[in-house]
Amino acid sequence: MTAVRKAGVVGAGTMGQGICEMLAFNGLEVYMVEQDEEKLNQSLGMIEQSLDKQMERWALTSAEKKLVMNRLNKAAELSELADCELVIETITEDLDRKRDIFTQLDQICAPDVILASNTSTLSLTELASVTAHPERVIGMHFVYPVSKTDLVEIVRGLKTSDETFNRTKHFVENIIHKNGVMVFESPGFVTTRLICLFINEAMHVLEEGVASVNDIDSAMRIGYSFQHGPFEMADRFGLDSVLAALERMFREYGELKYRPSFILKKMVRAGQLGAKSGAGFFNYDKDGVRV
Amino acid sequence: MIILVMNAGSSSLKYQLYNIESEAVLAVGRVERIGMEDSILTHEPTGGIEVNRVSEILDHNEAVRKVIDMLTHREHGVMSSISEINAVGHRVVHGGESFKQSTLVTGEVKQEIRRLFDLAPLHNPPAMMGITAVELNLPGVPQVVVFDTAFHQSMPKESFLYPIPMVLYRRHKIRRYGFHGTSHDYVSKQAAKVLGRPLEELKLVTCHIGNGASCAAIMEGKTLDTSMGLTPLEGLMMGTRSGDLDPAIVPFTMNKEELTLNEVNSMLNKHSGLLAISGISSDMREIVQAMSEGDSHAKLAFDMYTYRLRKYIGAYAAAMDGIDAIIFTAGVGENSWPVRKAVCEKLTFLGIEFDEERNMEKSKEARYITKDGSRTSVLVVPTNEELLIARDTFEIVKSS
Repeated sequence: MTAVRKAGVVGAGTMGQGICEMLAFNGLEVYMVEQDEEKLNQSLGMIEQSLDKQMERWALTSAEKKLVMNRLNKAAELSELADCELVIETITEDLDRKRDIFTQLDQICAPDVILASNTSTLSLTELASVTAHPERVIGMHFVYPVSKTDLVEIVRGLKTSDETFNRTKHFVENIIHKNGVMVFESPGFVTTRLICLFINEAMHVLEEGVASVNDIDSAMRIGYSFQHGPFEMADRFGLDSVLAALERMFREYGELKYRPSFILKKMVRAGQLGAKSGAGFFNYDKDGVRV
Repeated sequence: MIILVMNAGSSSLKYQLYNIESEAVLAVGRVERIGMEDSILTHEPTGGIEVNRVSEILDHNEAVRKVIDMLTHREHGVMSSISEINAVGHRVVHGGESFKQSTLVTGEVKQEIRRLFDLAPLHNPPAMMGITAVELNLPGVPQVVVFDTAFHQSMPKESFLYPIPMVLYRRHKIRRYGFHGTSHDYVSKQAAKVLGRPLEELKLVTCHIGNGASCAAIMEGKTLDTSMGLTPLEGLMMGTRSGDLDPAIVPFTMNKEELTLNEVNSMLNKHSGLLAISGISSDMREIVQAMSEGDSHAKLAFDMYTYRLRKYIGAYAAAMDGIDAIIFTAGVGENSWPVRKAVCEKLTFLGIEFDEERNMEKSKEARYITKDGSRTSVLVVPTNEELLIARDTFEIVKSS
């Protein structure tokens, strides 16, 4: 089994940053690719901020922070990922752009390199179909916040080989020390499908005037030991992301239960996207702390 | 008999080669940054020059291979063939309750060490990697494991149990194990020689204070009590570890600061102790330096450190109903005269007549720092865990 020491990450948005930081924390050399140098620097800045916050909480020493930062490398082009043993794609949920990246990665990386996607709703089989080696394409769906949530959905597409699955599972459990659950390709897999329905139903409850935002959140948070209630959860995921996921599942399954609530659509149209825009169902400061 | 002593950490491997009959060190060295592209092998043959080699060393197996290559190197080596190595001794941190002494490595022993991964997740797995690597590279050579906890297994129940529900001991073996056992064992034996009395008659408090610190009450050559517990966090204040505190502080802080388990663990192990109080350093030399320049935080850190150590010595004197000698060892214990002075000067009630001049002397030898005729003696005894591992390995291999 080839050991993974160098990993490529394509796309360094919120999830990409979390993944890069977590990989580097676990001792891997990480090569990050973004659209341009400026975005890369911005992402590195965000990761540094996140590490600083952890230092304030005594989770990290300054020596450990330095080690993590030293393992993060900027890659200007996809071709610089040629000698990575694993590449994780985590750009926005746009099938065409993802297909383009997989086509390129397929040519750049040796056939035994695992190509993983962090997609939460798109079809792995469809992504794999553009490659010459679909057996090495797999889904690794991380859950936000990546450094604190010890779960990865390992998603098998139609042609993903057992070897690719086993190597990925070994990587998830022994190298980055998370729990891996095996799921077969299906829109939303387990986590996104269930949590989006939960959030959507909470919005229906709100629309029907059954309870207030605060009370619904408290009821579920305290009653069932969720870290956040459904509304704060949605705010933290980004309301636009929740809406996009629901719309895709609505299209794929064709079932009414996935139809996004009107409140959600309205808020996204108004640009109230949750923690990242400062306002959603609750208000947040620039560090994402609820005010 | 030629014995190789190994101490494997998660990304490091330290080694010493002994000719055990003469107890002569033939070579010492270490491999650092295992698993990276720029691993460093540092090797020093006795009487020769230090060699540094940077190369990619992926795992402990490869590290052991490189060490063997170096030991038999045409220019820097100290022997002509690896077949000259007769036995290998390993340091293993946690021996749990299963290992009360050093032992020959067998299939069963390895299985038991693996079972103990739970209790020492950071320390035992690399030791196991070292053992496997030696099996691969030196097939047929007997191996011995020496445990940090083994010496303290003589503790009676009243000192090793915690007053919490007994079911936790039965289910998870939650109890005091103590660490630095090899060092406490070694220096207590050396102290008996210096004192010129049989170890079985002595009541000793051994203070192993380095980056980690623990002290032990040693009566009749056995540990009666020791300050580290289930993990090396309990007991004395250390460089970055808190040592003793009210256990209620943990849930209270987690709640108030919304900390996770990892965060609170890291806070107590890496962000506390001298570093937290001084805000300067975890290194006692820098604390003493800052204190001499008038830094009040450094002074406070120093005072807390020495006060807590003094309390332990007093407690152990009471636990043993008397005390014959206090022994200082390890980095701080062997080198920091201000720490020894601050601790000992206020122990006159134990019959200590402290000798300031002797305390200031620099030496690599075991020595008194009390006046001749002092009812209770204080000694500085340099520790040598590797030598004890080599001796244990020799005894076990010889008799097997």
